[in-house]
Amino acid sequence: MKIVAVSTSTPKSSVALAEGRDVVAAAERIDRRGHASFLVPALDFCFDQAGWVPADVDAVVVDVGPGLYTGLRVGLATAQGLAGAVGAQLVPAVSLDALALRATTGHRHIVAIVDVRRGELAVAGYRPVPGGVVRDGAPQLVTPDRLRALLESDPGEVLLVGDVPVLSEETLRGLHRVKVGRPRYPSAEALVDIGARMVEKDSAPHPDEVRPFYLRDPDVTINWAMLRREGPWPGQP
Amino acid sequence: MKPVVLAFETSCDETAVAVVRGNEVLSNVLSSQVELHARFGGVVPEVAARAHIEAIRSLTHRAMVDAGLHTDDLDAVAATEGPGLVGALLVGFSFAKATAWARQLPFVGVDHMEGHLMAPRIDHEETFRPPAVSLLVSGGHSEIVFVRDWGDYEVLGRTIDDAAGEAFDKLARVMGLGFPGGPAIDAASEGGDPRAVPFPRALPDRPYDFSFSGLKTAVTTFIDKASRAGDLPPLADVAASLQEAIVDVLVEKTFRAVDDTGVRVVSGGGGVLANRRLRARMAEEADKRGVALCLPPPVLATDNAAMIGVAAVHHLALGHVSDWSTGVDPGLRLG
Ligand SMILES: [Zn+2]
Repeated sequence: MKIVAVSTSTPKSSVALAEGRDVVAAAERIDRRGHASFLVPALDFCFDQAGWVPADVDAVVVDVGPGLYTGLRVGLATAQGLAGAVGAQLVPAVSLDALALRATTGHRHIVAIVDVRRGELAVAGYRPVPGGVVRDGAPQLVTPDRLRALLESDPGEVLLVGDVPVLSEETLRGLHRVKVGRPRYPSAEALVDIGARMVEKDSAPHPDEVRPFYLRDPDVTINWAMLRREGPWPGQP
Repeated sequence: MKPVVLAFETSCDETAVAVVRGNEVLSNVLSSQVELHARFGGVVPEVAARAHIEAIRSLTHRAMVDAGLHTDDLDAVAATEGPGLVGALLVGFSFAKATAWARQLPFVGVDHMEGHLMAPRIDHEETFRPPAVSLLVSGGHSEIVFVRDWGDYEVLGRTIDDAAGEAFDKLARVMGLGFPGGPAIDAASEGGDPRAVPFPRALPDRPYDFSFSGLKTAVTTFIDKASRAGDLPPLADVAASLQEAIVDVLVEKTFRAVDDTGVRVVSGGGGVLANRRLRARMAEEADKRGVALCLPPPVLATDNAAMIGVAAVHHLALGHVSDWSTGVDPGLRLG
C-alpha cells in the first residue's frame, strides 16, 4: 500500500511517502506563509526520489488540524486534488495525535499543544500504550492560563509536547512534574502510522466528510449597521 | 487543437468550477455564498475560505459530470492566482495545482481581471479582437482598460474611491434594500423614471476615472430631506435615478475612451455588467458609433470559472505555464 502524507497545520510544512508504514521519502520546511509554494514541489521531489508516479498512490493522509486555518486548508485542498485525480482514498488525521504519537516517553502522561493564535492553544492529553498512544477525550481550546491549570491538576508526571516556545515563561514556571519534550510540530511521517491504521481498519470517512478541524467558529460579528434596515418607503418589499 | 481545461475560481465569495474546450464552455458550475454573507452585510474572508473548502471537491465532480468528461480527457488545469482574498484564493489554487500535478498536466495561474476581460471570447469569438476598450466593473473593481493586444493592457482609468458594485451595495443599504445591492437596485428601478431626481455625476475633469462616494452622500441627503418634507418620490424613481447616475458615468467614460483610442470594439466584464440598464445604454452608444459590442451574458459577467478557463486557453497557446512553486498573488494588478 502506497501512502502519501501531508501536514501544513503549523509553520512546518511536511510531506512523506510510505510503503505501508515504511517511509521511503520525506521533505519538510518551516515557513509560516510558505505552505502553498512548498507542497507540490515537495511532492514532485519525493516522488522522484522514491521512483513513484502519482497514479501509484492508494491513500492520501492529511493533517486537518487544529492549527493555522489557511495552512490546513492548503494541505486539505492539495490532498483532495491529489486523491481525487488518481482515485486514492482521502484520510484525515488530527495534528495533536501526530504530535503525541512521536513523543517519546516511557510512562509520562502526554499533553500535546498546537498554537491556533489569538492567545489560544489547541490541547489534548494522551496515555502511552504499547505501540502508540491513546487520546483522553476530544481536543479543546485553552488560554495559556487554562493550560497551566490543566497541567497543575494532572496528578502524575507530564510530558508537554508541541509548540511550547510560544508560551511565556510564566505559564510553566514552577511546574516540577512537567517536562517539555519534542516534537515541536506535527510531521507527515507521523501521519503515515495514523493513516495506515485507518486504511487497514477501513475506518476512513467519506471524502465529503473530510473537513478542516477548526475547533472555533469564524471570528465574525453581525454588522447591524451594514445590514438591511427599514427603508424610508412605506410598504417597501 | 483546442485544449480541454478544468478551471477554478475562488477569489471571493463564489466557488466556481468549469470545463472549457477552446472558447467553448462544456460545463460551468458554482456554489454561491451570497446568502451566507448577506447576514454580515458583506463578504467575510474566513467565512468565504471555509465555504470554498467544503464545496470544491463535490463541485469539481459535478463540473466533470456536466461536461461528460473523465480526468483522462483534460489537457490542462487552471486557477485564479489573484487578485482576491488570500485564504479564498489558496483553496482553489492548491486544489487545482495538485490536480494538475497528479495527472502530470500543465497548470496555468490566471489573473482574475484578465479572466473577466477575456470572458466575451466565449460568445463573441469572431468579433472580439483587439484593439478594444473594456469596462471591468464589479464589487471590487471599476476599470477602463485599453486592450492594445492580448496581454498588452493599459488601465486608462479606475475608481478613486468605491468600486461600482460597492456603490450599489452602499446605496441599497441607504434605501433599505438588501445585499448585494446591484440586483436589488436593478429590480427596484423597474418602471421608474431615470430622470426623476438629478443626482450628481462625478469627476468631469478626469476623463476616465470614477468616483462614487459623493453619490452616496447625495442620495442620503436627498432621501432624508424628502422624507422630512413628506414628498418622497416613488422608490422606483429614486432607484432608477441613482442607477442612471452610475450608468451615465460608466458609459460616458467608457465611450470617451472608445472615441479617444479609435477602437472599433468595446467589451466589458464583472458583476455590475449584469445590470440591465448598463447593458442597454452600452448597446445604444455602440450602435450610434457603429462599433462592435462584445458583452458576456450575465452568468459569464459575474465571477465564474469558465472565464478563467478561456484565459488559460489563451496562455497555453502561447506556452505560458506556471511552475509548481507558484503561489497566489492577492494584489495582482492588470497591465
Ligand atoms: Zn470578479
